[in-house]
Amino acid sequence: MSEFDGLTPLKPSDERISYRSPLKRLLISPEIGALIGAVVVWAFFWGNGDKFGTAGSTANFLDVAAPLGIMAVAVSLLMIGGEFDLSAGVMTGASGVTIALMAKHFTDNGVSLFVCIPAAFLLAGCVGWWNGFLVNKTGLPSFIVTLGSFFVIKGSNLVFSKRINSLVNVSGIEKAEGYKFFKAVLGGENKFGDTKYRDVIFIVGGILFGVLLIGGFIEQSFLRSEQTSKPALLVAVLGAVAGVAGVMVLHRTDSVKGNVVAGVIGLSGSALAIVSYARARFQTRQPIIGSLPGSARSLIGLGLLGTAVASLAGQLFDRGEENVMLQWLPSWLRLAVAVAAGALPLWFFVRQVIRGDVEFRAKAMALIVVRLPIICLVSLIGIVALFQLTTVQAVRAVLITVAGTGAATCLYRARGIAGKHSTKYFINLGVLMSACFVVVAFAVRADSSAPRFRGGIFTSLLIGAALVLATTLIEAAQQKRTLADSNADRFGKRLVLIGMIIGSIALGTRLLFSDGVFRMSVFWWLFFTAVGSFVLTKTKYGNWIFAVGGNKDAARATGVPADKVKTALFMATSLLGAFVGAMILMRLNSVQAQQGDGQEFEYIIAAVVGGNLMTGGYGSVIGASLGALIMAVSKNGIPAAQWNQDGRFIFLGAVLLVAVLVNNFIRKKANEQR
Amino acid sequence: MSNTTPLLELQNIGKYFGNVKALENVSTTVKAGEVTCVLGDNGAGKSTFIKIISGLHKPSTGKYLFEGHEVSFESPREARSLGIATVYQDLAMAPLMSVWRNFFLGSEPTKRFGPINLLDAKFARATAKEEMSKLGIDVRDVDQPVGTLSGGERQSVAIARAVYFGARVLILDEPTSALGVRQSDLVLGYVRAAAARNLGVILITHNPQHALPVGDRFLILNRGQSVGHFEKQDLTYERLIELMSGRVHAA
Repeated sequence: MSEFDGLTPLKPSDERISYRSPLKRLLISPEIGALIGAVVVWAFFWGNGDKFGTAGSTANFLDVAAPLGIMAVAVSLLMIGGEFDLSAGVMTGASGVTIALMAKHFTDNGVSLFVCIPAAFLLAGCVGWWNGFLVNKTGLPSFIVTLGSFFVIKGSNLVFSKRINSLVNVSGIEKAEGYKFFKAVLGGENKFGDTKYRDVIFIVGGILFGVLLIGGFIEQSFLRSEQTSKPALLVAVLGAVAGVAGVMVLHRTDSVKGNVVAGVIGLSGSALAIVSYARARFQTRQPIIGSLPGSARSLIGLGLLGTAVASLAGQLFDRGEENVMLQWLPSWLRLAVAVAAGALPLWFFVRQVIRGDVEFRAKAMALIVVRLPIICLVSLIGIVALFQLTTVQAVRAVLITVAGTGAATCLYRARGIAGKHSTKYFINLGVLMSACFVVVAFAVRADSSAPRFRGGIFTSLLIGAALVLATTLIEAAQQKRTLADSNADRFGKRLVLIGMIIGSIALGTRLLFSDGVFRMSVFWWLFFTAVGSFVLTKTKYGNWIFAVGGNKDAARATGVPADKVKTALFMATSLLGAFVGAMILMRLNSVQAQQGDGQEFEYIIAAVVGGNLMTGGYGSVIGASLGALIMAVSKNGIPAAQWNQDGRFIFLGAVLLVAVLVNNFIRKKANEQR
Repeated sequence: MSNTTPLLELQNIGKYFGNVKALENVSTTVKAGEVTCVLGDNGAGKSTFIKIISGLHKPSTGKYLFEGHEVSFESPREARSLGIATVYQDLAMAPLMSVWRNFFLGSEPTKRFGPINLLDAKFARATAKEEMSKLGIDVRDVDQPVGTLSGGERQSVAIARAVYFGARVLILDEPTSALGVRQSDLVLGYVRAAAARNLGVILITHNPQHALPVGDRFLILNRGQSVGHFEKQDLTYERLIELMSGRVHAA
């Protein structure tokens, strides 16, 4: 008998176990750096040129970016598997040359594309297999092995196209059999260019998005239950329809009266829908019961006063007046004032976080994701408003902003105080705050004569109102949440997620299917990204890829066919290269023998920008796709912003460095904090 | 402890590399539910001995019995198929992959979804956590990368993995050599827990303080020779130190 018998082994101390918030989970994922980068770069160029402002040109440059994106998918998988393929770029050219030469020259009438394209794939498969075979057999770095393949393929492309076609440019494949089919599949334009379909998808998707989002929020909120009452649900659906109809009419009407009518219909419909849905699934969770403290009361009074001032601000000044004001102020001072006004609400928020007690501060930090957009929204209004300081309108805008911001801050504070004493008052104040947002929104819409400002602020405020309502309900529910409640909330979280997916699809449809320029390449890009990401994260092969790149000996020792995985990855890269080659050929109807030469580094850069580790074992396919997007945006944005074209290399280099540094930083932070 | 046929029995094992005698005349037994410790200073022949047990080397002389039958392994794979699992120091894990992905590496659970075989991540997460808690290992989060675990925790993942995948004999190669006091204690606890699940455990170490509390049987090697084979009750700490340092020979 050993003295260890009967003793349980020591347990690691429990203080290290902590709940990881969704925000942190997001930060750990490899694609986050790329996502932020894509948004920032896009926003940057959107502000600096009109190329990214319109849907048509966006779809256009996405088409150009697609080959890079598709290759980034393959290259990132290979990189996660611990290898590189320098022949990936020229492989696209080899595929194009093979197809074009066969289709034109192999017989008198040419060969059917149904033969040529599979032949190109066969060739690519062999190249990929050869790369993998050599790397596995010799154990040499894949940089060297594929560099050899790169030169061989590059030379062959030139030699064969010159010898057979006597030119480095092969064109004229239009006569080949099957041209129409492949043109449609690989290089074609979408058939949904008709705005009829596009709008239907957009509107239906948008409605579904809203309904699912609100439903999901309510499911997670204070008001929910296991039983469903059908009549109330029916009322909710009718209310939602009325609400959507009202909002749609609102956006198509310019007259003030029409606005008011449509607005009232839309608003009451939405409210009816929300309240009825909540009633349909009604349940009160354990509330905190108490009375409202005096400090909250005075804050409510201030908030309501601010709302009134903001709403009436427009009436105090002549709506038609557009005279220039305040020109004596130097422009830098105007800018400083604008920034200060914008930063003010943000400062309120920060101060609140700093000054609050420890428990409150922790909670505030946890909810920062939900609250920050609202605060930023208000700041944004301030900045927009003050940039217009040159006209009488601007005075209104300032009044609206200052009073509105003050009102929102007061009510928010009041809600926070009430939340500690009574759940009921917490919810009531949330609803009140949301209602104030709506009132100001309509006041602004009716009063402002600057259409862009008006539309933007109006929509932002309405979204803000919905956010306040939703977060109030969710926060109320989280005040005394049991484990059962938390499990029940899962359904709600799923609804929100599905809603967001549908919303993105709807928006994407609107964006991509405009002006009839959406090409199949963009679809293929999305398709391969989805497939690659699926294989990597949801199948056992993905596990093998990670392991082969992370620790090859370990993979082998546990029975993973490491060599086969690597060979398969090399083949996938070459095959996708062939696919991209065929796609470009079908798009342009001709191929340059030098095509793809030098692109292999762009693929690798895209993968690295997307958060893939150069040493293998870590990364993401979606990240690589986003990396390709960043590069495409930079590439197209610089000429669009009318900067020196050559500057794009400086920009690309900076983007690469920043992306890698950010990724590195995030990964370190994420890992050490656990 | 049980008196049935031992899981492993090694009789007069010797190994020669050319004219170098790496190992000579070494015998021991491994029983289910017991821990056999192989002790010795650096260069005593411990590594050669476990390489023979795990099927990497063939013994030059002597008999290797598995459940009473003589066996001769051509490769480690054959030994593994009989349930002889070795946890090496480098642990066979990918540091950037999560605990559950590492746990099931090479034997991933799948579930069918239409025509596609999906990775059953839910099952894998739950099983990894459960299997490890059965050995008393409390991993904070099975989604964290193995690289963020401490050395002892990493060892524990490897042990739990071997146990889950049907190991009957578990060979641990210096599991505590790179660990601090507390971490070593943890790992030794897991070793005991594995033995309690009726596995035969072979623990290789050069640290008598680690071997003595967990071992049921001790094989002490010095310069390729067996200098003693003891049951627990026949051995004291002082005697063990004397034998390991090579100052005395066992009677």
